[in-house]
Amino acid sequence: MTYTLIAVSSITYAMKAKRLLNNLGYYCEIEKTPKGLSSGCGYSIRVRENSSYICELLAKSSIECKGMMSVNR
Amino acid sequence: MRTVYFDNAATSYPKPSSVRAAICSASNDYGGNPGRGGHSYSLRSAEMVYETRQLAAGMFKAKPENVVFTLNCTHSLNMAIKGIPGSKRSLVISSMEHNSVSRPAYALFKRGARVDVARIGRTDEETLESFKRFIKPNTGCVVCTAASNVTGRIMPVREIARLCKDMGVPFIVDGAQAAGITELDLGMGMNFICVPGHKGLLGASGTGLLISDGSFALDTIIEGGTGATSAELDQTGFMPEHLESGTLNTVGIASLLAGLKFIESTGIGSVYNHEDALCDIFIDAVKDISGISLYRRGDRFVPIVSFNLDGLPSETVAASLSDMGFALRGGLHCAVLAHRTIGTLPNGTVRFSPSVFSSERDTLLLARAIKKLSKDGV
Repeated sequence: MTYTLIAVSSITYAMKAKRLLNNLGYYCEIEKTPKGLSSGCGYSIRVRENSSYICELLAKSSIECKGMMSVNR
Repeated sequence: MRTVYFDNAATSYPKPSSVRAAICSASNDYGGNPGRGGHSYSLRSAEMVYETRQLAAGMFKAKPENVVFTLNCTHSLNMAIKGIPGSKRSLVISSMEHNSVSRPAYALFKRGARVDVARIGRTDEETLESFKRFIKPNTGCVVCTAASNVTGRIMPVREIARLCKDMGVPFIVDGAQAAGITELDLGMGMNFICVPGHKGLLGASGTGLLISDGSFALDTIIEGGTGATSAELDQTGFMPEHLESGTLNTVGIASLLAGLKFIESTGIGSVYNHEDALCDIFIDAVKDISGISLYRRGDRFVPIVSFNLDGLPSETVAASLSDMGFALRGGLHCAVLAHRTIGTLPNGTVRFSPSVFSSERDTLLLARAIKKLSKDGV
């Protein structure tokens, strides 16, 4: 299955994003940001739906998308 | 002999059974370091930490990312007072502050800051006049307790917040005795609320919160690992990690979560009404004791009653009551300014502070013990 990883600022914002998206009925899990998506320790959310739309939703709650990448698992 | 605990203004005891259970299970349930790994242990801890942040944010009308976990209220106050860039220049505090405010202020004074002390008057109007005299557009920050830890008097922080807002000055509130007991949230207009987790919020010791409305950025007083932006030597710039260096007190935060849930389900109004009623019962039962002085001037109080018995040192009275099975605190309660203001230096006072678990029967037994002490001596 193909997912999109969206890097966010921190674990706090990852948790905030997860709760927001889960409450809206979207799949969302949290994982460490892989190398190549951002530098340093960081967290990403894993989503299935249209990632651009997800980023728009997150922006409305002041959650910044710091980067995106597709992964196949 | 059973000892009845009436020192909840120092730390609440007993804790609700849910809090005790949370403490016991947390070291097992939340073994991972929150925000420091991608494995299930770390993420499980992080879920719990965020849930606590979110619940506290709801209670204090903040955004979750503006809720910072600290070690205690003193830690929160130091971070806020010393973190406001302007406080290196000047600050205004009240004359009823705890040492957790007056000592950081004095430390800044010794480094060259101007510190003005607004006198808490007999009425809120007098108090506001005093603050008004000192608050100028270039004031670095204003700090005031929401309620005195010595007399229990509730301060007009909503009105002080308005004065600060008009001048564009950051306003920090010490919520040590108000949080979880009476109305206290950012909707009242302050910019920062500093609270302990182990008093009215019923969590374990070693917990505190620094809550902000996000309108003033704080400089850090400590820096370190935050689990974010690790490739940079500069401290993480965004909240809450900006102010949360080092591993969080996961066990303590789990206890705080249980405490917050207890308060939410009980209702702050119910907590206040119970404790306030016990204070009324206590005052009614002791007010006619020969030689007793009660220190309650003002209109509104959190559940604290300070008293003295004529000619007896407060610490001696507290020790005698301890021998009789009652835990109350005597002395200065780490609030020298407050005792100077109410005229109780150097003796201090004996402080009665019930909790949601205190009973009318025990309150009346305490009153009887005080009567006996006044009659027979210590």
